[in-house]
Amino acid sequence: MRRSATAGRVSMQEREYDIVIIGSGAGGGAAAKELAPLCADGVKIAVLEMGAKLKEEEYTGREVEMSRRLYIDSGGTLTKDRAMTLAYGRAYGGSTVVYTGTSLTMPEEVVERWNVPGLEYEDLHRRSVKYLEENNVHLLPEDELNDNNRLFLKGCTKLGYHVEQFPINTKGCLSSSLCNLGCPNQAKQGTHRVQLPQAEAEGVEVITNCRVTRIEDRVCETVVTDPGFGEPSPWAPGEYRVKAKVVVVCAGGAVNSAALLLRSGFGERLPNLGRYITLHPALILVGEHDRPITNFYGHPKSYYCDEFWKSDAFLLETCMYFPFVTAKNLIGFGAEHSELMRAFPRLQMILVLALDPAIADNRVTVDSAGEPVVDYTLTEGVLDTLHASMLASTRVFFAAGAKRVHAPAATNFFIDAADAGRIDELIPRSNVLPGKISITSAHLMGGCRMGRDPGDSVTDGWGRVHGTPWLYVADSSLFPQCSEINPYVTVMGLADRVAEGIRTNAGELLA
Amino acid sequence: MKLMKSLSQEKAETLRVLAGRIVPETADLDAAGMGRFFGLIDEALLERPPSVRRQFGIYLGLLRWAPLARFGSPFEKLSVERQDAVLRWFESCPVGLLRAGFWGLKVLIFMGYYGPSETNAVVGYAPERDGRAGLHAGA
Repeated sequence: MRRSATAGRVSMQEREYDIVIIGSGAGGGAAAKELAPLCADGVKIAVLEMGAKLKEEEYTGREVEMSRRLYIDSGGTLTKDRAMTLAYGRAYGGSTVVYTGTSLTMPEEVVERWNVPGLEYEDLHRRSVKYLEENNVHLLPEDELNDNNRLFLKGCTKLGYHVEQFPINTKGCLSSSLCNLGCPNQAKQGTHRVQLPQAEAEGVEVITNCRVTRIEDRVCETVVTDPGFGEPSPWAPGEYRVKAKVVVVCAGGAVNSAALLLRSGFGERLPNLGRYITLHPALILVGEHDRPITNFYGHPKSYYCDEFWKSDAFLLETCMYFPFVTAKNLIGFGAEHSELMRAFPRLQMILVLALDPAIADNRVTVDSAGEPVVDYTLTEGVLDTLHASMLASTRVFFAAGAKRVHAPAATNFFIDAADAGRIDELIPRSNVLPGKISITSAHLMGGCRMGRDPGDSVTDGWGRVHGTPWLYVADSSLFPQCSEINPYVTVMGLADRVAEGIRTNAGELLA
Repeated sequence: MKLMKSLSQEKAETLRVLAGRIVPETADLDAAGMGRFFGLIDEALLERPPSVRRQFGIYLGLLRWAPLARFGSPFEKLSVERQDAVLRWFESCPVGLLRAGFWGLKVLIFMGYYGPSETNAVVGYAPERDGRAGLHAGA
C-alpha cells in the first residue's frame, strides 16, 4: 500500500475507538443503532460523517441553498463522460435526509438474481420489515394524495397498467412536498430522526463535518472542517488519525466507499473494487393540464407503475420537483421552455427509472487527487429502455387528460393531445442522445459488491472485505446488481446483517 | 465592476448574451436580479475544480467564436434566429462532449434564473412549510 501523505505530521491529533463507522446514511445509521448496545459493555463506537448536522431552522426549503447544504456537488456530480448527473446526500443522516421516504422491500426474485452466497431472501426480508416498522412506514390515506399522484393513477388505470401505492416513512407530514430538500417539518423518518439519535443516546459518538481521506491498518485519516452552517462538529477543525481497535465499517455510499478503499490501496488485491456500478438512470417527463392541479403540496411520490418491470426493465414513479430542477430536466430553451415553466401549477410529472445491468467497466475510480470519478457508460440497451419508458409515460399523461406532453426525445418541444396516436413517430429512438437529454441518478449502487471471493466480488455475503477481517462495508455499494426498487430499505437490511456479523464475532473481536 | 470571480469579464458578457436566448426573461432582470443570477453561477463554478472552470470558459469562447466560420460574425452580432440556430446545433451536436457542454451551460443559466426564490412567483410556485391548506384548497 502507498504510504500516507499525511503520516507523521505533528499537527495530526489522535483518537481511538473500538468500532469506527464511516457514513451516517441508511447503512451507517442502521449499523450504528444495531451496534450501539455494545456501548453498555464499554465498547467505544464513533460514526464519522462528512456532512453537517443542520439546525432545524436551517431547513429552509430554498432550492439552491438546501442543495448546497445537503448534497455532494449540490446534487450535480457529473459522470466521467458528462452524460449523467448524480445526486447523493452529505449530511447527518446521509441520503436519508433527502430522499422521499418511499419504503419498499426487495422482491424475492431480485435477491435470487443477486445470487450472493449466504444471503437468503427470508433473512433480508425479515430485517427489512424490521426497519419498515421502526421508520413508521405506512400508506398515506387517500385524502392526503395530491392531483399529481391521482392523475398518474388515473392514467395508468385507464391504460390497464399495474400501479401500486408507495409506503412512506413519515410521521406528522405537513404536505410541504419539500422531501428532496430535507423535510422542514422533521416528518421524514430517516436515520437522522430515528437510528442516529437512538445510537447517540446509547453512547455512540457522531462526528460531523469529518471526511475520511484514507484507511490504513485500522487507522482512518480524517479532516474535520467548518462548512459555515449546521451544528459545530464535536471536534475542532483539523486533521485526525482515528484508530479503530476492532473494526472499520465503510458506509459512505456507493461512490465514496469504493473511492475511499481505492485511495487506501485496496484495489491492488481486489480487482472488482469500484466495478459493477449501477445507477437506475432516470428521466423526468412533464404533462401539462388545462387547469391548475395540486402538485407542489402533498407528498410528491405516492405511486409507482411496475407494468414494464419484467418486460422492458423500467419503472414509472410519480414525482414533483422544484423550479430549477424542473427547468434543467426539460429539453430545449428559449420561449417554449419559459412557457412550460410558467405552466408550473398545471404540470404533472413522471420519473422513469431504468433498471440497468451490472457491467464491470461501469465503475468508480479516483483521479490523481484521490477524488471519485464515476466512469459509467449508458448502454444501447439502457437507451432503448429509456426510449420505451418515454413512450409509456407519454401515454399515461394523455390517458390522464393532459393537453400536451414534453418528452425529452420528442421531435417537437410539445406533443399535443391531438397527436396522441402518433407517439411512436413523434418520439424516435434516434433522439435519445446522452448529453442532450437530462439523465440523472439518485440510486447509486455497487462498487463493493458482495460475492464468493476476490475473483467475483469485494466482500462476502456479510459485508466483510475479502482478506481483511477488520474491514466491513454496509451500504448500497454491496449490491452486486441493481435493486430494481428504491433501495434504502434494502441498504438498512444489509447493514443490519453486517452489524449482526460484527456482534456475533464481538467476543472474539473485542478480546 | 467585474461580474464574476470565476470568469473573465469578456466570458461573463458572453454568458449574459447566451442567457438572453436560453431564458429570455434574464434580459428583463433588474440589477439585483442580475446580481443574483451571476452570483449563483459564480458560486457554483467556484465550487468546481479549476479544470472544470477552464473548460467552461473555453466552451463559452467556442460558442462565441464558432459562428464566425459559418456566418462571419461572433455570436453576439448574429440575429436572434441565427443565434438560436447555433444553440440548437450545439444542443444536438454529433459530438457527445459538445452536447454535454451545452447541457451544462443550460443548467447553470437555469440555476441562475430559476434557483433564487424570487423567481418562484414568476412560475407560480408557492412552497409552504405547511402545505395542507394548499393541498385541500380545491377539495
